[in-house]
Amino acid sequence: MIRLTLPALAEAERPFVTRLRIDPNADTDIRDSLLVNEEAAGASFSGARGLIAIDGATGRELDGDVILVQPAPGRVERLLRAGSRTNSLLVTERCDQLCVMCSQPPKKTHVDRFALLEQACLLAPPGMLIGISGGEPTLYKEQLFDMVERVLAARDDLAFHILTNAQHFTVEDAERLRSPLYARTSWGIPLYATDAGLHDRIVGKAGAFDRLERSLATLILAGARVELRTVLVSANLHELPALARYVAARLRFVEAWSIMQLEHIGFAKGRWHALHVDHRRDFAPIAAALDQASLHGIRAQLFNFPRCTVPPAYRSMAIASISDWKRKYMPGCAACREQGQCSGFFEWHPDADAEASVTPL
Amino acid sequence: MTFLPVRVRPLSDEAALCVNDAGRFFAGSHGFVDRLLDEALTPMDRQFLAREGHALEADDPLGLAAHLHGVAERLSRAGPLDYLILVPTLRCNLSCSYCQVSRAGLAAPGFDWSEETLAAVLACLDALSTDRIKIEFQGGEPTLRPDLLRAVIARCERFAERQFVVCTNLQQIDDEILALFDRPDLFISTSLDGDATTHGRNRTGGPVRTDRFLANLRTVVDRYGPGKVSALPTIDATAPPDIDTLIEAYAAHGLDSIFLRPINFQGFARKRHKDAREQDLAWRAYYERFVRAIIARNWRDRGRVLEETYLSIALRRIFQPGRDRHVDLRNPNPMGLDYIVVDHDGMVYPTDEARMLARSGIIDLSIGDVRRGWDSEARDQLNAHATNQFDPACQRCAYQPYCGRDLVDDIARYGRIDMPRLETEFCRRHLHLFDFVFALIYSDDPAVIYSLSRWLRLPGTPASLGARLQ
Ligand code: SF4
Ligand code: SF4
Repeated sequence: MIRLTLPALAEAERPFVTRLRIDPNADTDIRDSLLVNEEAAGASFSGARGLIAIDGATGRELDGDVILVQPAPGRVERLLRAGSRTNSLLVTERCDQLCVMCSQPPKKTHVDRFALLEQACLLAPPGMLIGISGGEPTLYKEQLFDMVERVLAARDDLAFHILTNAQHFTVEDAERLRSPLYARTSWGIPLYATDAGLHDRIVGKAGAFDRLERSLATLILAGARVELRTVLVSANLHELPALARYVAARLRFVEAWSIMQLEHIGFAKGRWHALHVDHRRDFAPIAAALDQASLHGIRAQLFNFPRCTVPPAYRSMAIASISDWKRKYMPGCAACREQGQCSGFFEWHPDADAEASVTPL
Repeated sequence: MTFLPVRVRPLSDEAALCVNDAGRFFAGSHGFVDRLLDEALTPMDRQFLAREGHALEADDPLGLAAHLHGVAERLSRAGPLDYLILVPTLRCNLSCSYCQVSRAGLAAPGFDWSEETLAAVLACLDALSTDRIKIEFQGGEPTLRPDLLRAVIARCERFAERQFVVCTNLQQIDDEILALFDRPDLFISTSLDGDATTHGRNRTGGPVRTDRFLANLRTVVDRYGPGKVSALPTIDATAPPDIDTLIEAYAAHGLDSIFLRPINFQGFARKRHKDAREQDLAWRAYYERFVRAIIARNWRDRGRVLEETYLSIALRRIFQPGRDRHVDLRNPNPMGLDYIVVDHDGMVYPTDEARMLARSGIIDLSIGDVRRGWDSEARDQLNAHATNQFDPACQRCAYQPYCGRDLVDDIARYGRIDMPRLETEFCRRHLHLFDFVFALIYSDDPAVIYSLSRWLRLPGTPASLGARLQ
């Protein structure tokens, strides 16, 4: 697992954002910190805000990374890693839903870091797709929109993918979201069932389904780009074909529909046996949903489904969905021809279960 | 509850097809139609209609937005020019019985691009605003001028996405031509009318040249694999080839997609096949038998999926709007915008058929020339009528969301575009096509559903494809 937080010492007193560089001749920026020293324990960089000594990574590994330096707790957060295609910024840990399988259970408090995150985005490597997640980012809708718009206006090479529960879009937002800037923003939105009661129970909020439909109507009228996400749990497995018909009838505008296998972390870890579906045993409802979506030209994809656990006809839909820093493969995977296209397993997935399920292709 | 309008078309003895403006459809039993007319819908009916997008509950902003989106999605929008059909020469080394272009003899002077025309074509490529390009070389026989093909292809290096198609009779291939064909972004399109006898009668005029063609087809298929080569048959409806023989001629060369076209009512064909107009009915019966033969073959031999290209296009348009950029069937169908044809003399036409009409002296539908441009009044006049949206017959037709418009075909056949729609061959052909496709969609035969699922590119085979309301 690649560590996203590293212990560090810094001269500065207040948190700041900087980009790490090892080559002084590279195209540099006033906000950069240049490598000044490297030793076994780590690397030191120097910039306008003074020295930073980072433990546990080499200069080369850190080159190009945009980091948030936090002097008081003595650490740096690697916000945007230059070598990764999947970077995600957490804008808040608060959320107004409480999903039964939440991988990152929300907290009550909010630390406003928008200004720092915006600086980080402006330093992002060229062409990066920046993920934004939470908590629920649209709880701070105004700040979020402001940040997205300012960054996209300043950098025409960047794009955002924002995970949101879509409980807070209003009709009035449509006008703003029609701005051409949002052509480079897509929204990842969860929907678990067509039955409002079931969806509400899964997300732990009464009225959530109804509110979600209203937001989706706004997003259609705004011409927004939406990726629909459905985490598979035992309660919605047999609802998937109906959900597929619903998507075809009402949500044809989505760019993609991702059906996601459960992540063994957060709430799901403690409730694994109640929630987890072994799709190898009962793939039929998933297959029916994928057929229905494909029939209507909706791009369906499977997230977190190791390819060898998916029937051959549907295998091309199982994509390498797990970010590099939290992904692992089993020893058996080394012999597999499809590892490059395979999601693998979450770092925190129980080895015994993973080991038992791989059959190299 | 608000009911969204549906248009109805008989489907079978038991049911009627109901289609809304977004192209969403279901088969309603006659019982349902009676309940609808009697205003006696059951709660189950209402639930079904709301769920399937045919009715809106009182407070349903999502249902409304989805419907509006669905209607909008049915309207094609021509993008910037990124597809050129080029005719570098009109000369040809064959003389097919139905040649569509009034071809020129092999040695005839003055039927190739001049220096100025080539320069203008290249300048036109330089001026394109897109980063993708598709070029189709037509003729005549374009491989008679490999130098012109090379000049055009070289000029396209700047495009991120390139596709070249050479439409050739494969009569003559040498190292120079193969060197061109070796490009991975180049595809070969040829004609194969069936077995050797039929092909010889229609095209090559004799066994020697037929053998040479078949040997060359074999060479390119072996060298590049079938994915690079496509072929089209042209069927003489007065003497259509045996269906199984035709299918096997394609299968033998690894060609899975067969675009079954009737003889085009233009060019030399107009003179030689005078009765083409009367062939329509016989043709449609033949077409259905052909598709059913493919369905049976696909079911017998699951390792292989053959398809009739135009049927697949129509089928995908029904279920998957907005995916097909195919210009053969779209609505509106404006001309001279996203694709043009540049003839051997530099004249610009909206379609290849329009070029043939001019060539055969029926009507000049050129919209400009490649030197001076084609942003002309003639083009705007055509495009003012390039939609089926406001046609009184189409407005009542269940198939309007899927259907298209073909001004050039109307002009070719009737010399006018204001024919009552239902009396045009375009309309009769598409009414038949969509009737046939919906009969297949609602078939209970697993072999039919299997083939449709493959043509729709589905990973599996659903139990049924269309919704039913009893
Ligand atoms: S063997 Fe490993 S890499 Fe291959 S498909 Fe299975 S999980 Fe993926
Ligand atoms: S052309 Fe004919 S088949 Fe097509 S929409 Fe119009 S009436 Fe219907």
